[in-house]
Amino acid sequence: MARRILKSRNILITGATDGLGFELAKAYASRGHRVVATGRQLLTNDLDFFGSPNIAYIRADQSEPEAAARAIAQAMEKFEWESIDLAILNAATGWTGHPAEETPEEIQRQITINLTAPVLIAKAIAPLLFAAQGQLTMIGSTAVKGQAQFATYAATKAGLDGFVRSLREEWRNKAHVQIIHPGPTRTKMHAKAGLKTGMVRMFFMPTKRAVKAIQRSIRNRDNKRILSRTYGWSSVFSSAKEGEL
Amino acid sequence: MKALITGAANGLGRAMTDQLLDAGHEVWAVDRDTDALDALAIKSRGSCRVILADLANPNSIQRLMRDVKDVKFDLVVLNAGISATGRFEEIPGAAYQKLIAINLTAPLVLASGLMHQDNMAPKSQMVFISSLSHAVGYPGASVYAATKDALAIYAKSVRKPFKKRGVGVTAVFPGPIRTEHAERYSPKDAKANKRMLPEDMAKLILKAASKGKKELYAGKGAGAAKFFGKLAPNMMSKMMRKVIFDKLDSNTY
Ligand SMILES: NC(=O)c1ccc[n+]([C@@H]2O[C@H](COP(=O)([O-])OP(=O)(O)OC[C@H]3O[C@@H](n4cnc5c(N)ncnc54)[C@H](OP(=O)(O)O)[C@@H]3O)[C@@H](O)[C@H]2O)c1
Repeated sequence: MARRILKSRNILITGATDGLGFELAKAYASRGHRVVATGRQLLTNDLDFFGSPNIAYIRADQSEPEAAARAIAQAMEKFEWESIDLAILNAATGWTGHPAEETPEEIQRQITINLTAPVLIAKAIAPLLFAAQGQLTMIGSTAVKGQAQFATYAATKAGLDGFVRSLREEWRNKAHVQIIHPGPTRTKMHAKAGLKTGMVRMFFMPTKRAVKAIQRSIRNRDNKRILSRTYGWSSVFSSAKEGEL
Repeated sequence: MKALITGAANGLGRAMTDQLLDAGHEVWAVDRDTDALDALAIKSRGSCRVILADLANPNSIQRLMRDVKDVKFDLVVLNAGISATGRFEEIPGAAYQKLIAINLTAPLVLASGLMHQDNMAPKSQMVFISSLSHAVGYPGASVYAATKDALAIYAKSVRKPFKKRGVGVTAVFPGPIRTEHAERYSPKDAKANKRMLPEDMAKLILKAASKGKKELYAGKGAGAAKFFGKLAPNMMSKMMRKVIFDKLDSNTY
């Protein structure tokens, strides 16, 4: 049952067909917010896929960043959204292996999906974010400090971090810009990146807990948040009050 | 010694190229500026091989990789870079795509490709030119700052795996340099004498590379910027906004 809330907000979430994005979309929709979810897949039935009438899906494949940004801007028009309260740019992809074995195509692919696309999407939705003095939330990664086995992936996340740091200052009084860096989380991301996690996976944060922690950091409007284990645990019982995101 | 330098025709890259040539080394100079490359080739009487390449174009990078297939470099400096300054949301998307391609994709593809193709001599050094913005942020150039942070972290990520194959990695964080690049993208009233001369910066970088240093923060105020950037990052980006973004009166890309 959807709980009653004071105000239903407009929330955009990229990469919402799986993992953190999928769970975030459902969590916000269950509180009565309107969610536009994006992904690279072609879905035949949004309602079946997400199980909520509050979630509308649009295809925006970020490997074509200009087209993805345009698709999102057009969807906003189609849904008659005049403002966005919260945009979570979450879609990302990775590759794992020795950096000398990363092909030019692979390097290009990750940079395009993880960095170029969010930059162009942020630009495309800027007017709508300004209209609500909304919040732009980038999803980074703790790999942002550097990772030998995910060199390009780590670089793209560091790119987002630098982007956010500078844009936050630039957009002061127009929209809030934050970045949240999850640590290893039990989604399918690693398998998709070609990494076998094995037993280590046990130590990863459960997806649901990571989602709680992300929502808490969004509510608190942190500038930058590393999702440590402690923060994850202490977020388990944190929830939005009436009227909060 | 054999060196490969990208963005070698002008500014900092040119200063490094000149110094290496003067010291009797062989330089492979990569740039898209044909006239400046010609001048380099003529001046150096053969010790400088010029390679015309547009680093925004993946095919051009591939061609460059084929051109140097059999060379073993002792030094590679991934220096080429452009910028885009102004209000983030007003600059065209195509300018950002080009910026990311030249400042980030190209050096990553080259670094990885040169390792893969076995182009690096034993005990060689690979140098990534990031920016002091890595320490202080850069409101008014958020995508430029993004590419330079990404490059810094890539350098950090590959340092160990490259070292295992005998290649050292140096990341350089230069403060403002007195080049055409800086003139173009800075507020009009910015003082040129607050910027280091490219020749001085080039000297520091080549020295750091020859010593195998991991990091070099160089230029006027670089030390202080690094210190305060770590200590009080928010204060530093606020200050950067005041000295740069608030004074930019036009978008340049
Ligand atoms: N899991 C972790 O351990 C971890 C750690 C740190 C940071 N993160 C970050 O958290 C975010 C979410 O990751 P996750 O773990 O939830 O991974 P995930 O389960 O693989 O979800 C990623 C989402 O992005 C979508 N996506 C991939 N490529 C895309 C493209 N070209 N265009 C549009 N959408 C695309 C995926 O679509 P498909 O369903 O079609 O694959 C999926 O919906 C990412 O930014 C990731 O970097 C994850």
